[in-house]
Amino acid sequence: MHKRSLGLSLVGSLAIIVGACGTAATPTPSSSQAASQPAASASAPAASGSDAAPSASTSAMKPIKVGVVTDVGQLEDKSFNQSSNEGAKAAATESGGSHEVIVTKAISDYAANIQTLIDADFDVIVTVGFLIGTDTAKAAKANPDVKFVGVDQGVCVDEAGAPDGTFACKGDAATLLPNYQGIVFAEAQPGYLAGIVAGSISKSGTIGAVGGTNVPAVVNYWRGYENGAKSIKSDIKVLYQETDPDPSKGFNDQSKGKTIANQFLSQGADVIFQIAGLTGQGALEAVCAKDGAYGIGVDVDQAVSLPTLSKCIVTSAEKKLVDTVKAVVLSVASDTFKAGTVPYNAASDPQAIGLSAYHDNAALITPEIQAKLDAALAALKDGSLDPCAPIKCTVAGS
Amino acid sequence: MTSLRRIWALAAIPVVSILLALLVGSLLISASSLATSPSLNPLLPLIAYESLLQGATGLSFIDVTGGAITFNPSIKPDQAARALTSTVAAASPLVLTGLAVGVGFKAGLFNIGGTGQVLVGGFAAALVGGTVAGQPAPVAVTMAILAGALGGAAYGFIPGFLKAFTGAHEVVSTIMLNSLAAFVIVGLVNDIFKITGPSFARSADVGNAAMPILFGRNGNLGILISLILVVLVYVLIYRTPLGFEIRTVGANPSAARYAGMSPRRLVVLTMSLCGMFAGLAGAFEILSLGYYPAVFGTSIGFSGITVALLGRAHPVGILLAAILLGAMQAGAPSMQITAKVPIEIIDVIQGLILLFLAAESVIRHALRSRTERVTPGEIGTVSRSYGDSTT
Repeated sequence: MHKRSLGLSLVGSLAIIVGACGTAATPTPSSSQAASQPAASASAPAASGSDAAPSASTSAMKPIKVGVVTDVGQLEDKSFNQSSNEGAKAAATESGGSHEVIVTKAISDYAANIQTLIDADFDVIVTVGFLIGTDTAKAAKANPDVKFVGVDQGVCVDEAGAPDGTFACKGDAATLLPNYQGIVFAEAQPGYLAGIVAGSISKSGTIGAVGGTNVPAVVNYWRGYENGAKSIKSDIKVLYQETDPDPSKGFNDQSKGKTIANQFLSQGADVIFQIAGLTGQGALEAVCAKDGAYGIGVDVDQAVSLPTLSKCIVTSAEKKLVDTVKAVVLSVASDTFKAGTVPYNAASDPQAIGLSAYHDNAALITPEIQAKLDAALAALKDGSLDPCAPIKCTVAGS
Repeated sequence: MTSLRRIWALAAIPVVSILLALLVGSLLISASSLATSPSLNPLLPLIAYESLLQGATGLSFIDVTGGAITFNPSIKPDQAARALTSTVAAASPLVLTGLAVGVGFKAGLFNIGGTGQVLVGGFAAALVGGTVAGQPAPVAVTMAILAGALGGAAYGFIPGFLKAFTGAHEVVSTIMLNSLAAFVIVGLVNDIFKITGPSFARSADVGNAAMPILFGRNGNLGILISLILVVLVYVLIYRTPLGFEIRTVGANPSAARYAGMSPRRLVVLTMSLCGMFAGLAGAFEILSLGYYPAVFGTSIGFSGITVALLGRAHPVGILLAAILLGAMQAGAPSMQITAKVPIEIIDVIQGLILLFLAAESVIRHALRSRTERVTPGEIGTVSRSYGDSTT
């Protein structure tokens, strides 16, 4: 949702200042904090071999011209826009090519922004966010020579390769649009690992999760978290609340996040997982104000992006956006590009999900807990562990 | 000669405002280069404006290589066609929201409700479009567009009615109605009209009701309709008895009443008409997108205020102002990748234009001009106190 702020002053004769369109970022369910530390995220403790270099062999690399079209909002959003752009930029540099970015101001500008990059002969165009998916698919169909990478986009096309308004998704995206890859993340997996941490360090037997809006990504994180915690203590109580069904509020209401977290704390919760962007920042603040309570961040290493709260953030359930986008863009340079919707998870190379470093709270994670995390991660990798079981990753949970 | 002088008298303030805004904008662009490069780049504004122009029109005047600037006018025909199409496509909703404010000025009304009217019009078009998605395109498109026009008109009717019969000032009521529309529609899309399938809340696809493309990649039907409406509004305001009544009410409500006109009727009618224009703009935006996403938001409603003031509330002026703003919007992506200037500078320049327009008397004084006020003054409508009412 884009909130337009209208500063209108009719005092005295007149002074109108319209504009200053404070476009709040499109509420990607995971809008949260900085991912400017690819190095930090690559050192996730639960990861055995997470910092594997992109598999593309550098010898066969050709220099590529990479363009990014962001989602509505700012480039420096400490979340999807920023991380995707950093990944794309890193890939362009590594291939010896160049990189540019266009920031989107309104949903109706998506197509024109993509077209500008096409007209300027870019080789790879990275588009950010699920809303731009339709325009990306259309552009991919019209420009088979240009590669498209859609962050957070499931590719859904009809038999003709056009974006499917009915969402029957009958067309095989990988064949029909061989120049378009949609990146999606398996949020339930890092959620599960976060749940193991919460279940292990909780003394009260009650933990909480604050969700922004119950969009699939949030529900996946939440149910994965619940299953992870219950794998440690089957009788653990997992409190959950959705902040607001309207994403423009659900992910942006810091004070409500604080209220919900305080309510959970008063009900005995001593670990709270935030899945609510800016709202969740309020939740982490509430947790920090209480002794013996710990918070878990989301999407990026929040102990780094929120340094004032790092003392009470145990870890963060991460989507490794920078590494993943970089690897996908580089796959174009090395001619190993894959089309269609590609799910990124623990088994991806480089590993696309995981927990962040424990920083100040490393002492909480005993070797025993770490062993359980390592085992779970290995099981997630080989597919023997389903993070959406026994509780299903739906709002109803069944 | 006199008519030229008359045009200059009307256009002087807007033109000077634009030039001043570009000048101040260029200082800001220069300063912004400090953030991205080791030293101040005094040439950056030139490069930025050049790439803006090129993105909007395909025209290029200079070559910049390694700090040296050479004058080299050139045009790439295919790029020019695409760029101009994008410019008029971006201008067409602004023409409509400009009319939504400008026609109000003629009647002495300040309609800040463009945003809400755009959203309601867009939402109505999305709902009807989703319902008639399977009908033949001409039928579906017509119905969806009409729904947008009616939705917007209905949402303009409300503040008009409140003003006429209760005296509630339209500035206050339209601002509140903007928020109301935004939040109610978000709720409706999230809870009732959400379709299953996509990973985010949105309404059903409009299918055959999608905006027909007449030329190029995005030269849609809305451009043609906007142009036709500019002509119709001109005829309405300056060539019909109703237009005369609207202008009379704007100039002097008491005189209008003594002359036997009904200011109440005219206020309701004008606000509904304004709402209809904004509603159409919303319908064109949504029918181009193909569905209504819960997170939809747009600044075209507020930009309409800039357009109307810049165009001095005259249909032709509004058309020209909308093309200018549309060009800035269409050229912005190219400015970002060529000059690496942040897109926010476009908002800043538009804000500056408004600021200088508002400082009219200062500019007038600086020009020492004979550009006396030749219209009742849309600026006057904006600045008039809340106290007086046309009823």
